[in-house]
Amino acid sequence: MSATTTATITATPPPGRLASGFKRLRYDGALAPILAFVIFFAVYLAINPGLLTRFQLQSAANLIVPLALIALGQLLIVLTGGIDISIGAITGLCNVVFATQIAGLSTPGALILCVATGIVCGAINGSLVAYANLPAIAVTLATAFIYAALARLILDRPGGALTDGIYKVTSGELLPFVPVSLVWLTLIAVGLWMFLQRTAFGRQVYGVGSGRAAVQSAGLKPRLTILVTFMVSGAVVSFGAIMLAGSTLTGDPRSGDSYLLSSIAVVALSGAAFIGGRGSILGTILSAAVLGMVGSLLFFAGINSYWQYVISALIILAVVVIPRLIQFGIRQSALRRGPA
Amino acid sequence: MKNDPLRSVAPDAALRSEPLLVASDLTKQYGAVHALDGASFTCLKGEVLALVGENGAGKSTVSRILAGATGVSSGTITFEGEPFAATSISEARRRGVACAFQELALVPDWTISENLILPDRRGRGMFSQNKARDESDRILSALDVTHLNPSTVVGDLGLADRQMVEIVRAISANPRLLILDEASSALNPIGVEWLFARIRDLTADGVGVIYVSHRLGEISEIADRGTVLRDGASVADFTRGSWSEDDLVSQMAGRTARRHFPEKPPVPKADEKLALEVKGLRAEGLSSIDLTARHGEIVGIGGLQGQGQTELLRCLYGAAPAVADLWQIDGKPARHLTPPRAVRRGVGFVPEDRKTEGLALTLSVGENLLAPWLKSLSPGGPLQLRSEGSWIDGVLNKLSVRTRGANEPVGDLSGGNQQKIVFGRWIDRDRSILLLHDPTRGIDVRAKQELYQAMLELAESGVAIVWFSTELEELVNLCHRVAVLDRGRVARVLEGSEITPDAIVGAAVGTA
Repeated sequence: MSATTTATITATPPPGRLASGFKRLRYDGALAPILAFVIFFAVYLAINPGLLTRFQLQSAANLIVPLALIALGQLLIVLTGGIDISIGAITGLCNVVFATQIAGLSTPGALILCVATGIVCGAINGSLVAYANLPAIAVTLATAFIYAALARLILDRPGGALTDGIYKVTSGELLPFVPVSLVWLTLIAVGLWMFLQRTAFGRQVYGVGSGRAAVQSAGLKPRLTILVTFMVSGAVVSFGAIMLAGSTLTGDPRSGDSYLLSSIAVVALSGAAFIGGRGSILGTILSAAVLGMVGSLLFFAGINSYWQYVISALIILAVVVIPRLIQFGIRQSALRRGPA
Repeated sequence: MKNDPLRSVAPDAALRSEPLLVASDLTKQYGAVHALDGASFTCLKGEVLALVGENGAGKSTVSRILAGATGVSSGTITFEGEPFAATSISEARRRGVACAFQELALVPDWTISENLILPDRRGRGMFSQNKARDESDRILSALDVTHLNPSTVVGDLGLADRQMVEIVRAISANPRLLILDEASSALNPIGVEWLFARIRDLTADGVGVIYVSHRLGEISEIADRGTVLRDGASVADFTRGSWSEDDLVSQMAGRTARRHFPEKPPVPKADEKLALEVKGLRAEGLSSIDLTARHGEIVGIGGLQGQGQTELLRCLYGAAPAVADLWQIDGKPARHLTPPRAVRRGVGFVPEDRKTEGLALTLSVGENLLAPWLKSLSPGGPLQLRSEGSWIDGVLNKLSVRTRGANEPVGDLSGGNQQKIVFGRWIDRDRSILLLHDPTRGIDVRAKQELYQAMLELAESGVAIVWFSTELEELVNLCHRVAVLDRGRVARVLEGSEITPDAIVGAAVGTA
C-alpha cells in the first residue's frame, strides 16, 4: 500500500455541505442566474428608472408571473430528467377552460375545473412516461397536438367571459407598490418549495432525475414519483394560465404557444441540469424575470425589438457556458498536475 | 449501539451452529447464459461466510438474488427456517436481509442523510433536513464513522466514502443477514479495519454475514467459513485455518478442460522497435501506468474487473482524456490524442460494447467495415465504396463472417459476426497498434477460434496487440506478456512462462 491509498479516507474532495440554503442554491445551479438577475436589474434601472413607479411595477409583474409559473411547471419535469413539450398547449387549454367556464359556473367552479384540467393533462403525460416507459419528449410532443386541438374546440378565437373582478384579484394591486400577482407567485413558490425540499416525496423528485435505478434499489417507487410530478406540474401550469387570463382579460387558445420555448429557456438560464436531479425554484423565478423583461428593456433603450431574442440567447449562453468553462479549466489543470 | 450492555454478553455456542440461511442448488439463466449453475451454501447465525471466485463465477448473482433484486431460475432458499423469495429490495430488507452492493446504489444528487433516511420513509411524510441530519449523525457515530458530514452530497464523495455510506445504509436496516458484495473493493486498509470492526459487532449479535470478495487476505482474516464458486457452481467449502491461499487460488482458477488455442507466434526480438511506449500515464481511474509493446508482441491487460483496464484502453485510443510523462507511438510523441488522430497514427480499437460503441447497427456490413476510412475514401467528392469491394470481400472471407453480403444491415448479424466486423476494420490497414477490449465476450466458441487466429496473424505481420480479456485462459495462452492491473496501477508484469492462471489471479488478488 502506498501513501496515496492510505490517505484515501481523509483525502476526499472538499465536501459541499448542503445544510444551509446558500449551499443548496449553489448546488442547484442558482448562483449564476441570481447574479445575472442583479446585473440585469441594475442595467434596467439605469436605462429606465421608471420601473419603480406603481404602474410599471404592476405591469412588469403581470408580464413575469405567468412565465415564472409555467417555467416552474417545466422545472418540475426537468428535475425528473424529462422535458414537457406540451406545456404551452396545457397553458392554452387551461386558459380557455377558465375563460369560458366562468360564464356558466361560479368563479371558484371555473378555477377548480381549470386546475383539474391541468392535473389531468399532466396525469396523461406522466402515466405514459412512467408506466409505458416512453421518452418524455415524444409523449409530450404528441399530447401537445391533442391539448392544442381541444383548446381550439372549446374556443376558436380570443374571447371568453372574464370580468374586471378577475383582473383585480389576479393582476391588480394588493397595497400600493405590491402587485397582487407577485403575492400569488410567492405563495405558490413557497408551497412548491415546501413540497420539493421538505417532504420525503419531493426529495424523490430530485432522486429520480439523479439516479432512477438507485432510487429503485433503495426500495422506492420511481414510476409513481414521475407520475405525481407531472400532475403537480400540470397544476402549477394551470395557475400560470389563470394569471395569464386575468392579466389580459381574454381567453385565447393560442395564448400558451410562446411559453413552450420561453419556459425551456428560463429553465436553461436557471442553471438546472437537463439530465435531472438539480434545479432551484428561486433561480427559475429570477430567470423568468430576466427573460420576461428583455423585450421592455430594449424598448426603453430604443433598440429594435427583434434584438430581444439575440440578447436573451446571449444571456443564457453567458450564464450557462461561462461556469462550465471555468469548471473544465479547473479539471484539466488538476489532471495535468496529477494525483496529489 | 456499541455501548449497549447486552451486546457485551458473548453469544452462546448453540447460537452459532443454528443455520440462518440455506441455499441449495441455485441456478440462474439469462437467455442462454448460466450465471448460476448449481450453487449451494449455508450461512449460520453469527458467522461470516465468504463467497470467493473468479470474475463471472456467479458471486454477484448470488448477492442480487438474496437482496431481492432478481429471482432464481430454480433451487430453494430457506431463511430462518422459512422459504425465502423476496421480489424486491425493500421486501428483502423487511424480511431482515440487507445488501451493500458492489455497483453503488446511492443517489448521487442526494446528501448522505437523504440516502440513509429516505429509503425507509418509502416516499411518505414531511422531511426535515435537520432531523435527517441528526438521525444520520446518530447512525454514523454508532457505526464509528466520524469523518463524514451527513449534509455532504454523495456525488462529491470519493469512491471509498461512498462505499462506506452504502455499507452504513445496509447495516442501518438492522438486518439479521448482511450481504457485503465486494464492499471493500474501494476501501483502503483503514477502511477495511473499520468494516471488520462492524462485522465483528454484528456477528457477536448473532447476525450472519455473507462476505463476497476477491481479496484472499481479507477473507483469511474475517471469514469463519467459505464457499468457492466457479462457473456458477459451488465447487469447494473451507473453514477457518483449514486452507491455504494457494489451494484457494487453484480452486478459483480451476483446472477445466483446456480449449484449443492456436500456437503463439514467436516472441519478438529484444531489438524490435517499440510500437507503444507510455510512462506515468494518468487519467480518471488510472495512476501512473507504464506500458510498452513491441511490434509483433501480444500484451495482455489482466486483473479483476474494474481496476482500470477499460479506462486504459480508451485513453490509449484517445477516447478519454489522459496525460503522461512519456507517450510515444512508433517512436514519435503522441500528444493530444483523439480517436481520429489515433487512427491516422496507426492505432486501431475494438471497444467494450460492440452494439453501442462499435457499430452503427442500422448501417450495412460494408459501411461499418469502412467507418474509420470514410474520410480518406471521399476526399471532397462523393463516397466511393465500390472501389473498396475487394478489400471488404477479403475481410469477410478471412474472418469467415456469416452474412448475406456487404449490404446487409449489421444489426441482423449474430453477436460473433458483429464482433468480427468491429475487428475486421483494422485488417490489412497498416496498423502498428491494435487495442482490444475483451473481444470474445459473449460469442460462440467457433467465432472465438476465428478471432484468435486473426489476432495471431496480425501479430505475426508486425502489429502490436494490447488487449484486455476477462477470460484467464485467453491471457495465458495468447499473450507474450501480461500486465496485471489493481486499482488503476500495474500491480505486476508477467512474462513468458511466468504467465499462469495462478500467477495472474495471485497478482490480481494481491497475494504474489
